[in-house]
Amino acid sequence: MMDIDDLLQEVSAHAVPQETRDLQELTRCWVAERAAPELLEWPEELMGRVLERIRRQIDIIEEATGSMDASTNFKLIIIQTELERFKFLVRSFLRARLKKIDAHPHHILSLLPAQPSLLSGTEHAYLTNHQALLANHYHASFLSQFPVPLQKLDDTTGGVSMVERPDENAAVFVRALREVEEVFVEGTERRFRMARGDVWVVRWRAVKGLVRAGMVEVI
Amino acid sequence: MALPLPPGLTPAEVAFFCEMELVTIIPRQRLDALELLGGTLAPMLPPHKANVPLWLALLLKRQRRANIAPPPWLSPHALTAILDHETENEDTFSPPPRLPPAPSANALAFSPPFLPENTLDAGMDALPYHWMELGEMLLEAAADDFEDPESVRKLLRGLREVRLAKMRRGTEMLDAAGGVRMNGVGGMEIAEGRAFITGVIDNLRKLSATVEEKRMERGDRDTRSPGTADYDYEDDEMETQFTS
Repeated sequence: MMDIDDLLQEVSAHAVPQETRDLQELTRCWVAERAAPELLEWPEELMGRVLERIRRQIDIIEEATGSMDASTNFKLIIIQTELERFKFLVRSFLRARLKKIDAHPHHILSLLPAQPSLLSGTEHAYLTNHQALLANHYHASFLSQFPVPLQKLDDTTGGVSMVERPDENAAVFVRALREVEEVFVEGTERRFRMARGDVWVVRWRAVKGLVRAGMVEVI
Repeated sequence: MALPLPPGLTPAEVAFFCEMELVTIIPRQRLDALELLGGTLAPMLPPHKANVPLWLALLLKRQRRANIAPPPWLSPHALTAILDHETENEDTFSPPPRLPPAPSANALAFSPPFLPENTLDAGMDALPYHWMELGEMLLEAAADDFEDPESVRKLLRGLREVRLAKMRRGTEMLDAAGGVRMNGVGGMEIAEGRAFITGVIDNLRKLSATVEEKRMERGDRDTRSPGTADYDYEDDEMETQFTS
């Protein structure tokens, strides 16, 4: 059963407009993508809404420019300033993802069957086309001279994998958004509780599931 | 096109992030409601106060269209009390502002800069997440809206030094297990300390990696059925390498 506080809060959470909630989510995704060692899931629905709004706002600005009225001009300055801030956010977010895609292309390709929503449509096209071009180029310039068993780019035989992976144990700064009963750091005896609002420096591997579940955020 | 930056936000990006904090302004001119990407901006009617994001407050301030009301914690009185607390407690940062009630199970949880930690009705007994950058930006752009900007500036500098010393001392606590609690740390302080702190933890971890692997193997053996051939094989190989 819900008590009155829960009800009030439910109401106030819904009172926050979707646009503001999206901004909170977008900045959270941006900071996480910038700080986490691994590529995170592509926020399809969120990005759809944000990009659509940006497109509409650009149309509005284009229609309104040319007006000589001083007060309209000032409004346009505000709208444009905000638009530039959003464009920066989106661009920085996409470029942070691109950096990871470029750094670990084979690793990400190997994850895709299990996690199809890891990449956006354009990111997927970029990754596969880029890798196809590279593979062709390597083959034409030197790989074809090698014996066939040595031509693979993602060889894992002999106990050493050619596929470079991100360091999942890298330390990250996180903040608990909800109460977390127990965090267990694999390989050590470390177990601890996170209270809401707590800031911890901890291995990415120990918290990545919690980040995906929205229990903690990367800061 | 890929971003050529190390992990984490740069100081300039932390400032950009901080500009999303809500602050209270006293508009000097009317401004109609505006549909912005981050939500509708309510109409401004002087002399009624309004809460707007810092970037907009700074824009209005620079054009002399509004005054900014500094948040309660950014006053000499409040900062002195916080500085005392910071000096008395050598090992921890002063606690962060009180949190709003916990969000229900599937509601979005808000966190700084989207909590009202810097508006006129915010608390005055704690430093918010973006304290340092927000204080600097307000003092730079709106010093004339402070009663006593010089003391505020001096107190902020004092806080920064006390806390920086704590950060340095705190590095002794960093260990390979990599679970260090840092409640109350600020956004800009993380940006400054990230490379060092995560570097120390990551390198200590690599030093003790073999111990950990052994422990994990042991754990694996306990849970698995006996006779996990691949692991035993690797162990044997290691031994022959060492003895030969």
